[in-house]
Amino acid sequence: MNHRHLLPEEFDLLLDDEVGFGVAPLREHARECEQCRAQLDDARVVVAALEELPQFSPSYGMADRVMAQVPVFVPWHVAARDSAVQFVPRSRLARVAAVGLVAASGAGFTAAAVWLATRGDLVGFATDVAGSHLRSAVAQELQSGAVTLFGPTVMDTLQHGGLIGLGAIAAGFLLAATASAFGLHAIASAARRRA
Amino acid sequence: MPPALDLANLPDADVVALAQRGRDAAYRELVKRYERPVFSLVFRMVRDRELAEDLTQDAFIKVLQHIDRYRPEFKFSSWLFKIANNVAIDHLRRRQLDTVSMDGSPHALTSDAVESTSFDVSVREESALERMEAKELGSAIETAIAQLRPEYRSCILLRHVEDKSYEEIAATLDLPLGTVKTYIHRARHELRGLLEHLKQ
Repeated sequence: MNHRHLLPEEFDLLLDDEVGFGVAPLREHARECEQCRAQLDDARVVVAALEELPQFSPSYGMADRVMAQVPVFVPWHVAARDSAVQFVPRSRLARVAAVGLVAASGAGFTAAAVWLATRGDLVGFATDVAGSHLRSAVAQELQSGAVTLFGPTVMDTLQHGGLIGLGAIAAGFLLAATASAFGLHAIASAARRRA
Repeated sequence: MPPALDLANLPDADVVALAQRGRDAAYRELVKRYERPVFSLVFRMVRDRELAEDLTQDAFIKVLQHIDRYRPEFKFSSWLFKIANNVAIDHLRRRQLDTVSMDGSPHALTSDAVESTSFDVSVREESALERMEAKELGSAIETAIAQLRPEYRSCILLRHVEDKSYEEIAATLDLPLGTVKTYIHRARHELRGLLEHLKQ
């Protein structure tokens, strides 16, 4: 028998049921040495009592109380995926039909794009016709808007007077704007002086 | 609406991942899964049921509010116990600061008056209320645990009630492994001494 009594950390190795190298001689010593065995038994009683301690339950509704104070943050990519998932049909048959519909639409659009690409001259001609129609429609709308705003006389003068008529109208507009600015400035100065 | 998952059968890491993706049910599952062990640890640390409920709630709120910071290389339970233990220890420290005036009354004029109004924190006596709370916890072992230093208490509870390894306890409490072993050894030794009277 080894006459050295067990050291504190050696008791811990036995209490923790360690199985590593060097534990077997300690166990043997504890079996043979009455003093160490008594100490180990006492310690084992304490450990057993600790391991039998029950867990306590908090009062009902802990999760609700916690969640009332925790804002749940949903990342944008998860929110986007969840929104997309809402549109996916539940039944297998409906999902197959939806996939078929999407595939057919995709194929249709692709075929149309390929057909247009191979008919470049036709597309050019159609674009020209549509462009000239659009230009004349816009010009007509602008002219009718200007007649409504300035009256037919001004428009007539503009059309017949050319650049001279346009210059006269612009000069009149600038004169009126300058006079208005000076008038407003004079009123503001007078108000400041009174204050 | 995302498809319903059987959260109860998922490992912690998966439930945490779902919580990080904003699943309310995953948050609840984490609370449900750990409310008893966390509450038990905190209750045994502070020995007041109402207070333990509040501190447990605070610990869960802290964990769930920062769930995005959780790193999966650590065990979720270690992270949770670490926060719960810190909450309890902080409370115990605050309570000691609030209730113990170490330097005596500021109005004391003589050395006798200073001495009579001061406390020695190293010989902190258990109050009648604390004894009553310890009794509420039950057996002699509970009373004995209550008399350990808070650091020893955390270690011994994590080791023997929560069945954590020394390494996990060291990670949970941010202590060196050697310190954890020493604390557990001293806690066991003190408990043996405190329960000695039961042998007769």
